[in-house]
Amino acid sequence: MAKQIANKMAPLWGNIFSALNFSKQESEVDILKKIPIFQDLRKRELNIVSKILYERKYEAGEYMFETGQPGAAMFIIKEGSVQITRTSKSGEELVLANIGSGDFVGELALLDSSARSASAYVIKNTVAVAIFRSDLEKLFESNPDLGNKVMRRLATVIGLRLKATNELLINLEDEYGNQQNEP
Amino acid sequence: MAISKTNPERLKRSRIFYGALTFFIVSIITVLLWTLNALVLPIIIGLISAYIAMPGLKWLMKHRIPKWLGILMLFGGFIFVVFILGRQVISMLPDDKEQLELRVNIQYKLYSNFQDFMNEDTSSPSKEMLLAVFGPELTPILNSIVSFISLNEDEGKKLYQLSQFTEENQYPIKPSTVKRFEELKNLGYLSTDVEEEKEGTEKKSFNAFAAAPGSSRIAALLSAISNWILTPFVFIFILFDDGEIKHTLLNLIPNRYFEMSLTTMDNADNAIGSYLRGTLTESTLVGICFIVGLMLVGFELQAAVLIGIIAGVANAIPFLGPVIGLIVGISYALIVENIDPLLPFLSSESAILGVVIVVITVQLLDNAYFGPVILGKAVNLHPLVVIIGVSGGSILFGFTGMLFAIPSIVMINVIISTVFKQLKAYYIIY
Repeated sequence: MAKQIANKMAPLWGNIFSALNFSKQESEVDILKKIPIFQDLRKRELNIVSKILYERKYEAGEYMFETGQPGAAMFIIKEGSVQITRTSKSGEELVLANIGSGDFVGELALLDSSARSASAYVIKNTVAVAIFRSDLEKLFESNPDLGNKVMRRLATVIGLRLKATNELLINLEDEYGNQQNEP
Repeated sequence: MAISKTNPERLKRSRIFYGALTFFIVSIITVLLWTLNALVLPIIIGLISAYIAMPGLKWLMKHRIPKWLGILMLFGGFIFVVFILGRQVISMLPDDKEQLELRVNIQYKLYSNFQDFMNEDTSSPSKEMLLAVFGPELTPILNSIVSFISLNEDEGKKLYQLSQFTEENQYPIKPSTVKRFEELKNLGYLSTDVEEEKEGTEKKSFNAFAAAPGSSRIAALLSAISNWILTPFVFIFILFDDGEIKHTLLNLIPNRYFEMSLTTMDNADNAIGSYLRGTLTESTLVGICFIVGLMLVGFELQAAVLIGIIAGVANAIPFLGPVIGLIVGISYALIVENIDPLLPFLSSESAILGVVIVVITVQLLDNAYFGPVILGKAVNLHPLVVIIGVSGGSILFGFTGMLFAIPSIVMINVIISTVFKQLKAYYIIY
């Protein structure tokens, strides 16, 4: 049985932005518009980005990606439910977050191919759209303005995650410190 | 981990289905390649041209030129280059009259150079080496080479006719050429009847298109056009493609291999693109060096350009390319009447030496600088693979097959090695 620490880790792994639930009828451009990374793009630019999206259907029990694999794509969850998991040093499987419609995961893969730090396990049939770093890089070569806007927003998103991590560390320190100070 | 949580029956059925599908697709592709092999080369050339043009299109788009206009400009440029080069090459190719003149002069020069060589000082190391290698076979070898270019009786008559000034023939064949022809005839260096027949067949096959009667020439032209019309189509469609081909292919890939497949496709795409563009740059530099070198040796600009283009294109064939450049250069040096060397230590007699120096210098430059800097070590193929590949390519598609064998092997090599690397990285194989 996987241990749930999703509540504790929510600032880091969960949706730190406003709720982005998608309806089934939404087009790929509408979906992109709601993702913070692409919020600065105009409709024409969103149309260009929508051409490099890949829609995939995952069944419950499948992994979208696994810890240690080289990251190549960011996934936006259109519908369904996905658990972000990681095996602890003691071998216990920890659930770091539960994400669903409107959430996105693996945005660091848009920067480099470093190994995935957690796995994405599908717990309910899921439809996701993938966006690949290599496609995005090629797009930036011919549309540098678009690239500039996306990268600036991506930096903001990563900055927010970093702030959330700091908060989490401070909270943990307070909690751990208080426990130690207790007689 | 994913497998353990999946229905094993369904997994088994999926494996059987995908296995059968892969087998079916591979079989269909093999049969199509086998039966439609005439279309393979035009498609490959279209693909290669598109790969080479891709950075140009990106550059144009970066400078706010719409994609359709960029493709139109590149396509126009492609057609312009083919047209200009084609016209240049065609203008350099001799017509019927010039061919007769050229053949007599080549034959004459070959024999006179051979005679001079045989009569020169016996201590010459190159002569001793040639005699040691070929021995008494040297003269028959020369005769068999010359029999390919020597004139038969009808062509001899035609030569006489074309040496007369008439209203239709305002630029007759030079008397010096007729004199040479007569000298060769008197020495008995003309084709015998048997050789004539054989030679006739060879020449016909050598230049079948030019010799074909009007209707069959049109048929041959139409057949060539119908195959090669694919090249510009492939070129345009590949450049216009906005990822539809990749999307279609990836839709067939199971989720487990999805991320890996796109990474593999992308890595292979980058490696092939850089190899092809690198080879083009390298061949262009080699061609330019050849042209400059041969002009320093004293070759006419037209001849230097033609030999430079041949040597540059042939340079794409490892090992064999430089030999082709050397053979073409030496052949021209053997038959050239007068050269005007720009370098003081070279003379008309040392044209062959000049060509050898040019070839060696260009090869040194290529191996020490162009190759390593432009291509790097990305395409280090085993020499045996190169030799078998080039031979196989020439058997299947002649000279063009020889030329494209290595790029094709490099593509396959890159795809296979990338697939293995990614399969390991995504924990699919050990």
